[in-house]
Amino acid sequence: MDAIINWYNDLMSNEIWFYLIHTLLKLVLMFAVILAFVVLSVWIERRVAGWIQDRPGPNRAGLPLFLLQRFGSKEKQPLKNWLQFFGIPETCWIAKLCTWLRLDREIPCWGLIQPCLDGGKLFLKQETTPSYVRKFYFILAPMLVLGPPMVAAAVIPFASEVNTCYGTISMCVANLDIGPLWIFAISGLSVYGLTLAGWSSNSKFPFLGGLRATAQLISYEVSMGLSIIPLLMMFGTLNLQQIVQFQADNGWTLLPLWGEGLSWQRWAMMLPLGISFIIFVTCVFAEANRTPFDMAECETDLVAGYHAEYSSMKFASFFMGEYAAMVIGSAVVVTLFLGGWSIGFGADAALSAYCDWLAVLCQLIMFVIKLLAFIFFFVWVRWTLPRFRWDQVMKLGWLYFLEITVANIFLAAAVLYFIK
Amino acid sequence: MFESSLCQILFCVLAALAMLCAIGVVAFRNPVNSAMCMAVCFAMVAAIFFGMGAQFLGIVQLIVYAGAILVLFLFVVMMLDIHDENHSSKTGWHAVVGVLVAGCTAGLILKAAISLPGATDTPCPVKTLCTSAGELLIGDARQAAPQPVEAAQYGGALPELSAAAAARMENPSISAEDAAKATSISDVKLIGKCLYTHYNIPFVILGFALLSGTVGAVALARKIRKD
Repeated sequence: MDAIINWYNDLMSNEIWFYLIHTLLKLVLMFAVILAFVVLSVWIERRVAGWIQDRPGPNRAGLPLFLLQRFGSKEKQPLKNWLQFFGIPETCWIAKLCTWLRLDREIPCWGLIQPCLDGGKLFLKQETTPSYVRKFYFILAPMLVLGPPMVAAAVIPFASEVNTCYGTISMCVANLDIGPLWIFAISGLSVYGLTLAGWSSNSKFPFLGGLRATAQLISYEVSMGLSIIPLLMMFGTLNLQQIVQFQADNGWTLLPLWGEGLSWQRWAMMLPLGISFIIFVTCVFAEANRTPFDMAECETDLVAGYHAEYSSMKFASFFMGEYAAMVIGSAVVVTLFLGGWSIGFGADAALSAYCDWLAVLCQLIMFVIKLLAFIFFFVWVRWTLPRFRWDQVMKLGWLYFLEITVANIFLAAAVLYFIK
Repeated sequence: MFESSLCQILFCVLAALAMLCAIGVVAFRNPVNSAMCMAVCFAMVAAIFFGMGAQFLGIVQLIVYAGAILVLFLFVVMMLDIHDENHSSKTGWHAVVGVLVAGCTAGLILKAAISLPGATDTPCPVKTLCTSAGELLIGDARQAAPQPVEAAQYGGALPELSAAAAARMENPSISAEDAAKATSISDVKLIGKCLYTHYNIPFVILGFALLSGTVGAVALARKIRKD
C-alpha cells in the first residue's frame, strides 16, 4: 500500500506527468460531458417543442421494468411495494408526488431515454452510399462537421483553479491566451464539412445546400468576430479563464451588480456591450445553422440540404455536429456575457477561501445550469421565429450587422476614452 | 531537455506533413484535391507556429487562410465545377524556369531567416537549418555564421518573443531573475504592442492597400447599368 502511495507521489511530483495526467482527465471529462449535452439538448429540443406547441413530446421512453424483475412488472405495482417497504402510507405527499412524476408506471426518465433509442435506431439503419458520390470526401465530410466543435471546447473554462499539493490545476483543458480566437478558428473549420458534403453528394439539392451553408457561415463569422471586440477592450485579455475571473470579481458582463461593477463607468459600457450581446447571439444562431437561419437545410426549397444523400450514422454525425455547435455556442455566450462558471455576488471568493474543491463543484454546477438555460433559449427561439428568406439572411449579415459592429467598436472606444 | 527534443520531433513531423501537402497542391489534377491539400498545409503551418509558442500567429493563420480564404477558393472551384486539368505536355523549358524561380525564392527566404537578429543563437529549428545549410554550402559553419547585424538595417529591432520579455512588458519594474522565471508568453500582447506603436503607420498603409484591392474587386465584379 505504501509502495503504491509512494509511486503515486513520485508520479504526481513530476511536473510533466502531473500535467499530462490532469490534462488527460479533463479532456475525457470534457468530451463525455459534451457528448452527454448533445444528447440532452436533443431531448430538451423535443420536449420544449412539445410544450410550446401544446403536445406532450417524447415522454414515454423510460427504462422498461423487465430490466429490473425484482421490482415486479407494471401489474404488480412496484410503487406500492416500494412504499410498503419503507413504511410510507399511500396517501402521504411523497406517494402523491411519485404518482404525479409517473413513478408508478415504469422507471421513468421523462422520455430521457428517447435520444438513446434514436441513436440506436440510427446505428441499426441500413447504410447506403449512392453510386454517384465522390467517396473520399463523402466519408470525410461528416467527420469534419462533428470534430471541430469538440476541439473548440478545449479552451472553455468550466470552473476556477484548484491548488493541490502538486501544483495548480486550471479547470479548462487548454488555458490558452487566445481563447475566443481559438473557438472561432476551429469552429470555422466545420464549414469544410458542409461544403464538401454538398459537393461530394453530386446531386442538385445537397449542392445548393452546401453552397448556402458556406456563404452563410463565412458571412456571419465576420460579424461574430468583430462583435466581441468591445468586450475584449473592456477585459484587456483574450484568456477565457481570466475573463471569467474578472467577471467573478467585478460583476458579469450583462449583470454588473457587485465589485467594481457597481461603478457608473461599467454601466456606461452597458450600451456597446448590449449591442455586442444581441449581435453575437444572433451570429451564434447563424453559425450553428439553427432556425431562423437554417437556410442550408430548408426543407421547403432544398429537401434536406447538404445531408440529403446521407443515411444512418453519417447522417447522425451531421445531426450531432449541429447540436454540438449549439452547445459550444451556448457555452461561449455564457462564458463571455453571463459570467461563465462564476456564481456571482462575491460567492466565488468566499467559497474558494473555505474549500477549493467545494468551490469548483459549485461553479461546475452553476456553469451547467447557465448552459442549460441558454440551450433552452436556443430551442425557444427555434419554435418561436419563422425561417428567414435567403436574401434576408445575406442582407442582415452584410448590410446591417457588419456596419453595426464596426460602429459599435468605435462607440466602445469612445466610451472607454471618456470614462477613464 | 525532454521538452525541447519533443518540440524538435513535432516540428519535423509537422514540417514534413506540410511539405507533403504542398507537393500535393501542385501534383493533384483535381482542383478540389489541391485546395484541400492547401488547407491541410496551412493547418500544419499553424501547428508549427503553436509548437514554437506563437499562439496568436498560428490562430491567425487558421482563421484567415484555412478558415476564410481557402473556403472561398473551394467555393469558387465547386461553383464553377472545374474539371480535372488536361494532360498538357510539359517541356523542359517550363522546368528550368520553375526551378530558377523556386530556387531564388528559397534563397531569399533562407537569407532572411539567417540574417534575422538572434536567429542563429537561439535553440530554434531555424538555427539547425541554417547551420546545416551553411555547412553544406561553405563547409565551415563558423565562417557562415553572420556577424551581429545592426538593428537599424531592418527598420528597428524586432520584439523579443520570450517569456522573460513578456513578463517585463507586463511589469516594467520586475527584476531580471523574476523575468527569467516567467513561463507563459502572451504573444498577442507583444505583437499588438509592436504593431500599434512601432509599426503603426506601415500597418495603416497596408490596410489601405487591402481596401483599394477590395474596391477594385467590387468595381470589376459589379455590372455597370446603362440607365
